Amino acid sequence: MTDDNVIMEKVEVKEPTKEDLVAEAIKNRFPSAEVEIKENKWGKRRVWVRVPREDYKALMKFIVELDPEAHYSIGIEQDYGEELGYMSHILINYEEAPGVSLLVEVRAPKDDPVIPDISDVFPIAVQYEREAAEMMGIVFEGIPDSRRLFLPDDFPEGIYPLRLDEKGISEEAVKNAGHPYYIKGGAKK
Amino acid sequence: MTEKVEYWVKVPIGPIHPGLEEPEKFILTLDGERIINVDVKLGYNLRGIQWIAYRRNYVQMMYLVERICGICSFSHNHTYSRAVEEAAGIEVPERAEYIRAIVGELERLHSHLLNLGVVGHDIGYDTVLHLTWLAREKVMDVLEAISGNRVNYSMVTIGGVRRDIDEKGKRLILDLIKYYRSIMPQIEEVFLHDPTIEARLRDAAVVSRRIAKEYGAVGPTARGSGLKVDARWSEGLGVYPDLGVKPVLPQDVTGEKPHGDVYDRTAVRIGEIHQSLELLEHALDQMPDGKIKAFPKDNVLVAKLKIMVDGEGVGRYEAPRGELVHYVRGKKGSDKPLRWKAREPTFPNLFAIAKGLVGNQVADVVVAIASIDPCLSCTDRVAVVQGGKKIVLTEKDLLKASIEKTRELNPDVKGDPTPIGFGCAR
Repeated sequence: MTDDNVIMEKVEVKEPTKEDLVAEAIKNRFPSAEVEIKENKWGKRRVWVRVPREDYKALMKFIVELDPEAHYSIGIEQDYGEELGYMSHILINYEEAPGVSLLVEVRAPKDDPVIPDISDVFPIAVQYEREAAEMMGIVFEGIPDSRRLFLPDDFPEGIYPLRLDEKGISEEAVKNAGHPYYIKGGAKK
Repeated sequence: MTEKVEYWVKVPIGPIHPGLEEPEKFILTLDGERIINVDVKLGYNLRGIQWIAYRRNYVQMMYLVERICGICSFSHNHTYSRAVEEAAGIEVPERAEYIRAIVGELERLHSHLLNLGVVGHDIGYDTVLHLTWLAREKVMDVLEAISGNRVNYSMVTIGGVRRDIDEKGKRLILDLIKYYRSIMPQIEEVFLHDPTIEARLRDAAVVSRRIAKEYGAVGPTARGSGLKVDARWSEGLGVYPDLGVKPVLPQDVTGEKPHGDVYDRTAVRIGEIHQSLELLEHALDQMPDGKIKAFPKDNVLVAKLKIMVDGEGVGRYEAPRGELVHYVRGKKGSDKPLRWKAREPTFPNLFAIAKGLVGNQVADVVVAIASIDPCLSCTDRVAVVQGGKKIVLTEKDLLKASIEKTRELNPDVKGDPTPIGFGCAR
């Protein structure tokens, strides 16, 4: 909390918004991160941060330093083709409305899909990571609980349902992939 | 520790009917009556919605998203539309924002009344169940009159709302407000002032403020523990700041500081019913005239979205159970979202309550689970059911079965179930 106040006092002359302050603080601490503020049509601004794998964990720790009350809300796993991505939404500085909506994304190449685990910073993150691991095949380094969350235990290893490449669900695996009235024309036996 | 392990017993609660009629499994490790550890097993209600979503365009997705869950169907549809609107940069007419707020608050009313009944039922107080669910019928009727459906209202479309609220609808809602103002004191009397209920719910399944924060609890579960979170408020969503929304904390209702127990969560819900009635009144009062959609027709919308969506969007909304997040990523030239993901409020709440249950009695489990108002069909939205072989059952089997059943019941039924349109790779 004290860090936060110091920053606020320093730049109060320009009257920047809370989003600007957060973006500035992250930029100063992590020059490698791409920080962008986007505003939507009803005036809500979000801070989008893209950070290399090496700085990811340090950045998460820094966010908790910025606001110890940080609220982790979602982990989104994605297939970008060559890379796998994991994005988190964190709400900070929400004691007064509006809060700062912060999105942090980290990417890893598909041949080495290892991303550091952040469950020691945000304990709930482990559940989103379990989901990302089973659905997208991301490996979380140091995850305390690597069991499956949604998929049944007898689901085949090495198949990740939401992957868009050959490791995803193949056409043959889908039973009755045609509409019931299209079976003659479209579906594969 | 090793000596003690012998006396620990593992008891599964669920997957059938662990509090609500929804499939989830809690594996309790017990030392006598005391809970040592709670493990949550999910996935009994997986329908592969994210996988299906890869094969739908933006407009078809609205209906898919709406069917994640019946109780908060408006919330899902609304939040998804917000995410697409953010990604596409679409501005929503002001009247549409008010109608969204009105339907959202009506939905909150019916969801909270439902949960109050379930909490009553789970502690064996069925009189309360009948009282609250009787009261709930009123809001269901109004929702049906306004939207045409008791669930899956389909009120929201990307860039506005589908139906207007006319003078008749306004009168119905004003009637409803009057009705709830008259019946709420009865319900309040039961939940806030009945000594039996207080003895049963006070200090049961305490989720401390620290646990609520660390486990990302949202909605009444978080507010019951004293966390000041409300996505409508912290997001400054739509017209909500004008309507004067603010997080309802237990001290606003009970006058005591938050304990984080079942009683406080119930109290928050009662406070929110009152707040919803106020918001409805303000919204009806302030609602301007004007158009309700940015794009008049759905085919225009599909064509526009194909050009307009380029990038990512996040929608956040306070569903009755807590903060709901939808994420959409699209690219120019494609009429399908490349990635869509939703996070339902029950997901973090389940893990928070599992942590909060440690140290409690077994008898508290059911009411504790009911007190977060779990919605498992929301939480288990992902993935794939697997048969003996490597088989994925999709919704087509269900569709086929339902068509067969309809034919069986009524062979004279006319109409061709062949799908029309495009964008859905069947």
